[in-house]
Amino acid sequence: MQRRTFLTSGLCGSALVSLAPSVPAFLATAARAALPKQDGRILVVLELNGGNDGINTVVPFGDEAYARHRPTLHIPADQVLKIADGLALNPAMRGMARLWEDGALAIVQGVGYPNPNRSHFESMSIWHTGNPGPAPRASIGWIGRGLDGGRPPADGRASAMYIGNGSVPVAIRGRRSVASSLDTIESFRLMNAAAVRPTPQTPGGGDDLAEFVRRSTLEAYTTADRLAALAPDGGKDPSYPESALASRLRVIARLIRGGLRTRVYYTSQPGYDTHVCQLVTHNALLGELSEALLAFKRDLASAGLADRVLVMTFSEFGRRVAENGGRGTDHGTAGPLFLCGPSVRPGLVGATPSLLDLDDGDLKWSIDFRRVYAILLDQWLGIPSSEVLGGVFGPLPLLHGGEEPIEVLKVGFRGPPD
Amino acid sequence: MRRRTTRRTGEAHWAAYVPNDAAPWDLRRVVHLHRRAGFAASWDVLQRDLKEGPEPSIERFLKGDSCSRHVPRRFEATAAALAESAEIERSPLRLKAWWTYRLAFGPDPLGERLALLWHNHFATSNLKVDDPALMRRQNDLFRRHGRGPFGTLLAALLRDPALLIWLDAPENRKGRPNENLARELMELFTLGVGHYTEADVKAAARALTGQTVVEGEYRFTVVDHDAGSKTILGRSGPLAGDGLIALLLEHPATADRLVWRICDLFLGEGIAGEAERSALASGLRERDLDLGWAVETILRSATFFRDENIRSKVLGPVQLIVGAIRALELPPKAVNPQVLAAWMAAMGQDLFCPPNVGGWAGGRFWLSAREAIARINFARTLAAGDATAPPSAPDVLALAERHGCGDPSLFLSELLLGAPPPPAWRARDAMNEPDRAEAARRTLARALASAECQLT
Repeated sequence: MQRRTFLTSGLCGSALVSLAPSVPAFLATAARAALPKQDGRILVVLELNGGNDGINTVVPFGDEAYARHRPTLHIPADQVLKIADGLALNPAMRGMARLWEDGALAIVQGVGYPNPNRSHFESMSIWHTGNPGPAPRASIGWIGRGLDGGRPPADGRASAMYIGNGSVPVAIRGRRSVASSLDTIESFRLMNAAAVRPTPQTPGGGDDLAEFVRRSTLEAYTTADRLAALAPDGGKDPSYPESALASRLRVIARLIRGGLRTRVYYTSQPGYDTHVCQLVTHNALLGELSEALLAFKRDLASAGLADRVLVMTFSEFGRRVAENGGRGTDHGTAGPLFLCGPSVRPGLVGATPSLLDLDDGDLKWSIDFRRVYAILLDQWLGIPSSEVLGGVFGPLPLLHGGEEPIEVLKVGFRGPPD
Repeated sequence: MRRRTTRRTGEAHWAAYVPNDAAPWDLRRVVHLHRRAGFAASWDVLQRDLKEGPEPSIERFLKGDSCSRHVPRRFEATAAALAESAEIERSPLRLKAWWTYRLAFGPDPLGERLALLWHNHFATSNLKVDDPALMRRQNDLFRRHGRGPFGTLLAALLRDPALLIWLDAPENRKGRPNENLARELMELFTLGVGHYTEADVKAAARALTGQTVVEGEYRFTVVDHDAGSKTILGRSGPLAGDGLIALLLEHPATADRLVWRICDLFLGEGIAGEAERSALASGLRERDLDLGWAVETILRSATFFRDENIRSKVLGPVQLIVGAIRALELPPKAVNPQVLAAWMAAMGQDLFCPPNVGGWAGGRFWLSAREAIARINFARTLAAGDATAPPSAPDVLALAERHGCGDPSLFLSELLLGAPPPPAWRARDAMNEPDRAEAARRTLARALASAECQLT
C-alpha cells in the first residue's frame, strides 16, 4: 500500500506544473479509472459572494506580518485549527476541519488571474466567464459553454441548476443549454396541475429571443413535472444545521437523491463583503459554510452518493492584507479555493501567498483559476476544456480516484467524537 | 414636458416616426407603445390612441397623462395613506404595496417605468437600509428627477440617506477611508468600468468623506472630511462631493452609460447600433444630460416603432403583473397590492430589494425555470380569481362583450398583443367547455402564461 504525503505549502505553482509530467503514467491511468462513471458525476459550485477574506480563512498564524497588518482582525495562534506548519483554519471552521481530517478536502492557495480586478461585478464576471480579458465579456459562463457542447435534451431538461432566490448566475448560462433555478422545491409546484398546457413543439436550434422564450417555458413545465415526482420537503431535518445555506445544500442533496440528471448545481452564500467590523460577521459565515458542507457530505455518504459529487467553493477575490479603518478589509486579489469530495486529492495545493512580498498592499496570486476549471471540465465532467476556456492551462494534481490512504496532519481541536 | 426639436445632434439617426406602409399606425404599434413605454393598457385607451395617431399618444405619455381616464378618485390621497402606513408600521410589505398601487392605478406609466429604471440603476436594498421611510424618500427622488438633467438626480442621490447607508458612506472618514460609495459611484452610476483607475477610486473615497446620515437626515460632518488635495481623473485640488459630481458629469463616458441604460429600457437587443448610440450620447452632452430629452427622442423615433423592435424584449415581472391588472380593468377594490408585490418577488423582481448593487439583470435573465413557473402560476391564479381580495375571477367574457367582441381569444390577443390569437390560445379544452365564461377564463390563463405574452 503506497503512502503518499500531501503537498506542503513549500511548493509553488510552477513547481507543480513541472511535477505533473513526471507523474508515472500508470498512476494517472489508475486515478482516472477509479473515478465514478462520467455521466453520473455532479459538480456543486458554491460561490462565496462579496470577496472572502482568505487570510482569515486559511490563517498564516505563524507569520509575524499577520498580526502586524491586522491589529484588531488577527486571530490568535491558540484559537486557530492547525492544519500544517504555521497554517490553520479559522476557528469557526470545525466542519471543514473534520473534512480535512477525513482526507476529503483540498485547499488551493493563491488563486487569482492576471491583472486582478477589484470590482465585484468585473471580478465575478471574470470567474463566471473564465475570461480575465477586458470587458465587455459574453454573458455566457464557463459551465454553460461547456454544457452547450452536448445536444440539448429534447424535453428541455436543465443541465445546470441554481439553488437560491436570485437570478441564474452567468457561470451556468449557456447559449442553448437551459439553466434552471429553484429556491425550495415548493416553488416548482405548478398550481392547478390539471390545466391544459401548450403542446411541446420540438425546440428549434435557433438562438433568437422568441425561440429562447419558447424553450424556457417548455423547460419550466418539464422541471415542474420532474420535481413533483419527488417527495415533498416535509419537516425539519436534524442532520442539517439551521441556516439558509444548509437548506439549499439539503435541497441539492434531495435533487441528487431524486435522480435528477442535472450535472451542475450552483449556489451561493452572500455576505462576504466585509468592509466594516469583519471579525464576527466573517467568522459566522465561515462557520455556516463549514457546518453546512459537512452535513451535505454526510447526507450524500449515507445515501451512497458521495463519490459522485465534487464541491468547489470560490470567491471573486480575496481582501487586502492590512485591515482598514473600520475594523474590516477592502477588496483585494488572490484567495484560497476549496475542493471537497472523495475524488479529490486532499491537501494543500500551491504556496501560501507571502504577506511581505505584496503587490501594492495585496497578495500576489500564483495559480490561475482556469487551471482549476480545466481539471474540473476535463477530468470530472468529461468536457474538453481548451475550447471552453480558450486555451490550455497547466494541469494541477487535484483529483484522484485511488484508494491509497493519505497521511494527514491531525487538526488540533477537540470536537465531539464522530 | 417642454417640446424639444431634434434639430441639433441626433436628427439623422433618430428621425421621427411617421406612419407609412412598412410601419403603419395600427393596433400592434399602439399596444407596443403602451407595453414598452408604460404598461399594457385597457381596450378603450388603445382604441383612443389608435384613432388619434402617434403624436398625441406619445405626447400623453411624455406629459404623464396616458391613462388618466382610469385613475381612481383620490388616487394621490390613497397612495399617500399607504405610504404613511408603511412608514409608521416600519413595514417593507406595505411599502411595496404603496408602489404597486401607484404602478397599477397611477396616471403616469412612463414616470413609473422610469422610477423602476432608476431604482435599478441606483440599486439600493432595504434588506440593508432597513427603513421604509428612507426607501420611500429615495423612490420619490426617482419620480421627481427621473426626467430632468441627470446631474440633478445624481446630486440628490448623493445626499440621499438610503443610498449613503447602503454604500457605507458614514464609515468613510478622513484617515480611515471606505471605498464602497466611491467605487459604485464611478463604476455603476456614472462612468462604467474602464474609465477610471484604482487610484481614482481611492481619491474619490477621500473626496466623499464627511457625508453621513444622522437620525435619518443627510449631514456633512466637516471634521470627518478629508479636505486635502486629491487627483481624480486628472484633475487636482481639494475636491469634495460636488466637485467630484461635476467631474463625473463632464466625463464623456457618463453620457454613454446613460444611453445604454435608456436604450435598454425602450429598445430590444441590437436595435440601436453604435452610430445611433453615439449620436444620442452627443445629444445628451449638448443638453446637460437631460434625461427627458433622450426619452422623448427615442419614443418619437422611427427606430422605436420599427418592426424589429416590436416584441423584442422579455417582459419584466412588474410589467407583466401591472399590465394584466390594467388591461383587464380590474378595479382597485378588487386588487390587493401586497399580494401582487409577492408575485413580483416570486417572479424575481422584489421591489426595494434588488439582488445587489448591480440591480436586476433583466432581459433573458427573467426566465429561469422557477421564475417562469411563477408566471404560469400567476396566470392561473389571476384567472381563477385567487389573486384578488375578496376572490373574484375576472369576467373576461363580459369585458370582451362590453368592448364589442364575442370571441375572448380574439379580444385577449388584440388587447395584449395587438395581433390575431396564436393557435395555442384556442385550446380544445376551451372549446369543449359549455360554460362560456369559464372557457374565457381558461383562455386568459393560457394567454398570460403563453410564450407570446412573455415578450413585449
